Amino acid sequence: MVVYSLYILNKAAGLIYQRDFNEGLKRLSSNDYLVLSGTFHAVYAIASQISPVPSSSGIEVLETETFRLQCFQTLTGTKFLLISEPRQQNTDAVLRRIYELYADYVIKNPFYQIEMPVRCELFDRHLATYIRGIP
Amino acid sequence: MLQNRSSYPPQQSAVAPSLASSSEKSIPTSLTPSALRTSVTTPRKVTIYDRNLNRRAPELSLAAFAFLFNEIVQYSQKNVKGIQEMETKLSENGYHVGQRVLELTVIREIKSAKRETRVLGLLQFINTSIWKSVFGKPADALEKSKDQEDEYMIIDNDPIVNKYISVPKEMSQLNCAAFQAGIVEAVMDGCQFPARVTAHSVPTDLFPLKTVFLVKLDPVVVERERYMR
Amino acid sequence: MARTPRQVGEEVWKTRVEKVNAELVTLTYGSVVAQLCKDFGNDYIQVNEQLDKMGYNIGIRLIEDFLARTNTSRCRTFKDTAEIISKVGFKIFLNITPTVGNWSQDNKQFSLIFDENPLADFVELPDDGKAVNELWYSNILCGVLRGALEMVQTQVEAQFINDVLRGHETTEMRVTLIRILEDEMPVGDD
Repeated sequence: MVVYSLYILNKAAGLIYQRDFNEGLKRLSSNDYLVLSGTFHAVYAIASQISPVPSSSGIEVLETETFRLQCFQTLTGTKFLLISEPRQQNTDAVLRRIYELYADYVIKNPFYQIEMPVRCELFDRHLATYIRGIP
Repeated sequence: MLQNRSSYPPQQSAVAPSLASSSEKSIPTSLTPSALRTSVTTPRKVTIYDRNLNRRAPELSLAAFAFLFNEIVQYSQKNVKGIQEMETKLSENGYHVGQRVLELTVIREIKSAKRETRVLGLLQFINTSIWKSVFGKPADALEKSKDQEDEYMIIDNDPIVNKYISVPKEMSQLNCAAFQAGIVEAVMDGCQFPARVTAHSVPTDLFPLKTVFLVKLDPVVVERERYMR
Repeated sequence: MARTPRQVGEEVWKTRVEKVNAELVTLTYGSVVAQLCKDFGNDYIQVNEQLDKMGYNIGIRLIEDFLARTNTSRCRTFKDTAEIISKVGFKIFLNITPTVGNWSQDNKQFSLIFDENPLADFVELPDDGKAVNELWYSNILCGVLRGALEMVQTQVEAQFINDVLRGHETTEMRVTLIRILEDEMPVGDD
């Protein structure tokens, strides 16, 4: 499995975490990362509004020839975006597991202020181990 | 005997789990701390002192502890001048817990009636029994300092209280397991082996949270050890 | 078939929750309350407030852990919310399931009645003639509920109205729905 990167967006569409795990995507400037998050957030919202089915979710998957972007939004409004190889399966389950790691190593860290950028060494460590171990 | 019992004043133990024997109710009212008087006038009421201490409480989630401990850490961070003062506060919270852990353990093991008289025996008891009952696993090692006669080290590769904590770089001196150190200190003091116990981070690649609990014995204890040798 | 909240709570508790010695939690909570009583010079009204604040802080975090472990979807009614709080929330954190009852006619108020309360195990209130009328020993739980529910856009008030530590027959928390925070509902929430 090749996971390229993970983004975490807070309720206000602010990018609070971004990590690349594997080569494969072009690197962006830090400003572009912010633009990408803000834009995705907006498109996600619009997508849910133009849907003819009431209370539809926003964009869950975005597929291209070179990568696949999966989004998971929690009930609290936090978004987790995972960019992987196009044919990657089970990215939804991967994001759920990442949400658990986030609940443990970010949320349970007394020095982390919610909604703020994530700087938690243990989260980086456990996330990297988990991503490496995905078959 | 009576005097002995009245040294268990519930008003002192205040808002923390209190311990006492069930026979307290029979103490004449005049000698009874006022809190117990209620149970004399209403003899059928079951007080906390009547409850069996051996009934082990069921387990709770580690998350519940972690969230509570987070609040202790954040609270200890307020109005302190530096890391050391913060660690002292954490240690004080742990001390409160340790005093009660010791009392519980002693009451539960009352039949064995064994009293540790030597430093090593007591430290082994802490290293295994206390650690296991409080933190769910024995500590990883117990070592004696090579250079300092009055220093011992209890080593925990993965202290439970630090499990989810990433200390920010600017606070790298801090080890929140000072709370755990406080528990140990209370046990040492309570067993008449006064000591100062502090927690120090010694991260390794395999064990990023590895902590050494440095036990520095009071000179009185060192002297007594020499005498008993 | 959809599983009941009780089944979900049991299963998550058994399979997905790391455990710790209950006495460590009980004694640690005791040390927090004792410290606050000391710091606020036994002004129990302030201690209650501080406990509620701490609880709120915990709640706004704990909700993420709750959602991550349980995969709960949004509750349709406040009755569902009450069931989930008791059978899943309290179950997976404190291994208890307080009884939900005493609903108000408009279904906006209910009670959680605690047969057991691990926070208060072996606790006796200070014997100063004041605490027994003023201190709500487990008040942190009210804040937890308030904070956690607010994060899923449900504004509530929560307070204890009875506590066995004060000599009441039961320990009872009253929870009142203020409103659903529609404006804060994440867009695209399904």
